[in-house]
Amino acid sequence: MKNNRLFFWVLTGPGTAFLLLFLILPLMSIVVFSFWRTESYHLYADWNLDNYRVLATNPSYVTFLLRSLFMASVVSFVSLVVAWPVAFFITRYGGQFKIILLLLTSTPFLTGEILRVTAMQQILGPIGLINMALTTFGFDPVTALMYSKTATAIGLIYLWLPFMVLAIHLSLLNFDFELLQVAKVNGARPLRAFWEVTWPLNRAGSAIGVVLVFIPTLASSITSKFLGGPNGALFGNILAHQFGSTGTWALGSAMGVVLFVISLLVLYIVWKSIGDLNRSGITIKGGAE
Amino acid sequence: MFRNLSITLQIVMLVALYIFLYMPILYIVYVSMQTTAIWPFPPDFTGEHYVNLWHATDYHTGFRNSLIIGIGTGMISSVIATMAVIGILKYRVKGSKLIAGLFLSPLFIAHILIGISSLMFNKTLLGLPGNLFSAIIANATYATAFAFLVLLAQLARYDWRLDEAAMVFGATPRRTFREITLPLVWPAIFGAFIVSFLLAFNNLEISFYNLGATPTLPTLAWGSLRHGISQELYALAALINAAVFSFLGLLYILIRSGVIRMDFKD
Repeated sequence: MKNNRLFFWVLTGPGTAFLLLFLILPLMSIVVFSFWRTESYHLYADWNLDNYRVLATNPSYVTFLLRSLFMASVVSFVSLVVAWPVAFFITRYGGQFKIILLLLTSTPFLTGEILRVTAMQQILGPIGLINMALTTFGFDPVTALMYSKTATAIGLIYLWLPFMVLAIHLSLLNFDFELLQVAKVNGARPLRAFWEVTWPLNRAGSAIGVVLVFIPTLASSITSKFLGGPNGALFGNILAHQFGSTGTWALGSAMGVVLFVISLLVLYIVWKSIGDLNRSGITIKGGAE
Repeated sequence: MFRNLSITLQIVMLVALYIFLYMPILYIVYVSMQTTAIWPFPPDFTGEHYVNLWHATDYHTGFRNSLIIGIGTGMISSVIATMAVIGILKYRVKGSKLIAGLFLSPLFIAHILIGISSLMFNKTLLGLPGNLFSAIIANATYATAFAFLVLLAQLARYDWRLDEAAMVFGATPRRTFREITLPLVWPAIFGAFIVSFLLAFNNLEISFYNLGATPTLPTLAWGSLRHGISQELYALAALINAAVFSFLGLLYILIRSGVIRMDFKD
């Protein structure tokens, strides 16, 4: 038993130290920097609340934040609605093709954000496939797709939807589909069986999926930069700007802290909403069997 | 009747999702082989953009740097994630949930935050300039989460009694790992390496903030995209998509064969 503890820490120790040192510590440090001051690209340690005062009182920052929150909510909701039937079908009827069907939904994710946005721009933009096809065949182009918030939303769904499918699938793997037969025998229609059996027993999958889509969408900057047009900037774009030409790192840190705190808050709310862990589809040991 | 409707709807959604995911990729591959990028119909095939890409020297530097970041990150992430997953699954001691949470935490942190925090931490507190090494370290934090997830899903099926049997017969922990565990689980480790390699190779936001002026393929793509249409960029996108799909195909074959060999637990 004592040996087990020793082996456990020998094996997990290096990774734990690595993550504490290079992930958690830097994240903590931006909290510190957010109370500092920047002058000509240098950070000075005069403690003050100015950065937060600017963020709270300048209406444009608040607007950008609200816009990002709205965007993240819409993108998470649409992804949830689209991912459910897909994940359900793959898990229940996928059979021996389960792994390949699932891999096909997540492989494009690995080509990276910038190349996926590049591909999306060729479909949605003013000279993209959809609008060129419409004008060629004598229809009016859809302006909503050209450099707009709608285009950004479609791009973000394109980027993060695979996470949602994966999260719901992992939850459904432990779901006993026999329960649906029981519901049917007892007279429940499929829709009612879904709402009263499948959905509540797999809410952990939905919740984790929502968080995995919401957090990166809230902070996104690349998609809106290339698909959103001149008025499509989101909070992430303004944050990125502080590290570009203006060099106001302290203000940027404060914006980062705001994003991080909201992420934690969302995580906490969603975690609380799951309720009883054992009845929510979470597998503690992570086993698929 | 109602049941058939529900299954039909699911199939329609599945097919629609695949079209949504793959149409942009297939179209960009098609455009990369056309003389014009604007409404290239009827097709007029050319290999010119690939030749231009081949001769563009900044892309060579970018490719080399991306490769270094990818391999460095892949090695760090797959090694520390393998150790951690074995530790958690094999010994199941108190505290393993907390450690698993730490390894998965990067999934819940936006890339831009990882990018800017490591930039400022390295520069302000450690006095380190941005370079390939700091980009590897920063990429390895979140790539480890993915490697961990891949390994957890695969190794959950591994039967640890095999290790115990080897130990009973007097094998040292090291020898047990080398002769029993490793030969059985290496496809999963290789899978974790491939996934973390590809994530770091194609990452923009984390690498960008940690690299200063050093180019990688994604940062070059970013610059090129700002200047409007560049069919060399589409050729690059086509090649990277092809590479990703070949890697994943290879991985699929390996995981299938690996799973079959590991699956005697049931």
